[in-house]
Amino acid sequence: STFLFKTSPFPLLFFSNFHSKVSFFVEFLTICIKLRGYCRRIMPEYKLHYFGIRGLGEVPRQIFALAEVKFENVAVTREDWPEFKKKTPFGQMPVLEVDGKFIPQSFAIARFIASQHGLAGKTPFEAAWVDALADQWKDFQNDFKKFWYLKLGFGEGDVDAAKVEHGIPARDKFFPLVVKQLKKNGSGFLVGDAVTWVDVLVANAVADLEEKEAGFLAEYPEVVAHQKKVHAIPALKKWLETRPY
Amino acid sequence: AMPQYKLYYFAFRGLAEVSRQLFALAEVEYENVGLTPEQWKEFKPKTPFGRIPVLEVDGQLVAQSLAIARYIAKQHGLAGKTPFESAWVDALADQWSDFHRVFKKYWYLRLGVRPGDIEGSKVSVGIPARDSFFPLIVKQLKESTSGFLVGDGVTWVDVLIANAVEDINSKEPEFLSEYPEVVEHQKRVHAIPALKKWIDTRPPSTN
Repeated sequence: STFLFKTSPFPLLFFSNFHSKVSFFVEFLTICIKLRGYCRRIMPEYKLHYFGIRGLGEVPRQIFALAEVKFENVAVTREDWPEFKKKTPFGQMPVLEVDGKFIPQSFAIARFIASQHGLAGKTPFEAAWVDALADQWKDFQNDFKKFWYLKLGFGEGDVDAAKVEHGIPARDKFFPLVVKQLKKNGSGFLVGDAVTWVDVLVANAVADLEEKEAGFLAEYPEVVAHQKKVHAIPALKKWLETRPY
Repeated sequence: AMPQYKLYYFAFRGLAEVSRQLFALAEVEYENVGLTPEQWKEFKPKTPFGRIPVLEVDGQLVAQSLAIARYIAKQHGLAGKTPFESAWVDALADQWSDFHRVFKKYWYLRLGVRPGDIEGSKVSVGIPARDSFFPLIVKQLKESTSGFLVGDGVTWVDVLIANAVEDINSKEPEFLSEYPEVVEHQKRVHAIPALKKWIDTRPPSTN
């Protein structure tokens, strides 16, 4: 016990002058900060903030599920949104909170998680193809939503006319590209030989389409097969079976 | 060995200019292919999505202007220093993309690419789009304090935004007068020597 007494730092607190106490305290604090930084790097705290619906939050949630990374799924209510909106970088959701700091934009969030967990392609060129397909989907969605939002009950207009004018042309411009890429790639996934975040993005959209307008993709069986393959991946299947909405 | 890069687009700035600027900034050689309309008709079926720009890397094509820009940037240290910074670069780029998707409905009228009521579109589309987007850029510049949008050095989103700002100012000089920080940012980015050299010597272009 005298050995411990002589070598431990605690006697300094009682017997040393003020300067030694401050040095000890500063060193102790530095060690704590370094330890916290280390812990945050190996296991950051993730919170995904979105409304309590699938929407633009669903793909980031599915990336977390596929990567088997823990996250807090925060459902912001309509009442709480105006206050929380002021705290977000762009006044929009989803936002991902990473150890207290925000990242906005659903694709930036998806790519951030995906690229750190092997879900963004195996090479830079593959990653570029994942990004390219995702942006192509976004271009599709931008045209398609002129029909789809009406169908979901948002806005005023003739749903059947919108389907003919916007829905079908958008579908027939985009999904042949997906079929072409699936055939060219040959692995069953869109890019490379393993699942990436764009497989999750497209499969999610396809499942949503088929759920709300059965048969809409009847002329694209490869696309429906791809969706089933992606959603059969165990980690993702588990999420789909247990997700809150 | 350095890959062989060929950037295919029309012979004007448009959606390829950001990638050309990134190659210039990174001081990387590439073949800058400007297609005529006739050449485009022939080339189109060879492209992944029937659109340009496409980047050819050792004979393989990749499409989509932002995917191309990010790819070039990542290879040459222009995409943020950490995953978190890269995510912020991506987020700002996607926010610009959302802005541009709406803004172009007015801007294409201003450029004379499409017919329409320019002044009416400016009020109903152009000004609201501007005032939803550029305050976010000002806010980010103030938070960043480095003079660049993310981290302490230039990234591809600085190039993206500065290019858009230069384009707007060249055709409608007073349009961003309420956003002096944004104009200063554009001047700062375009003063970077490797980029300035490209801008001073690039072929003339209408847009």
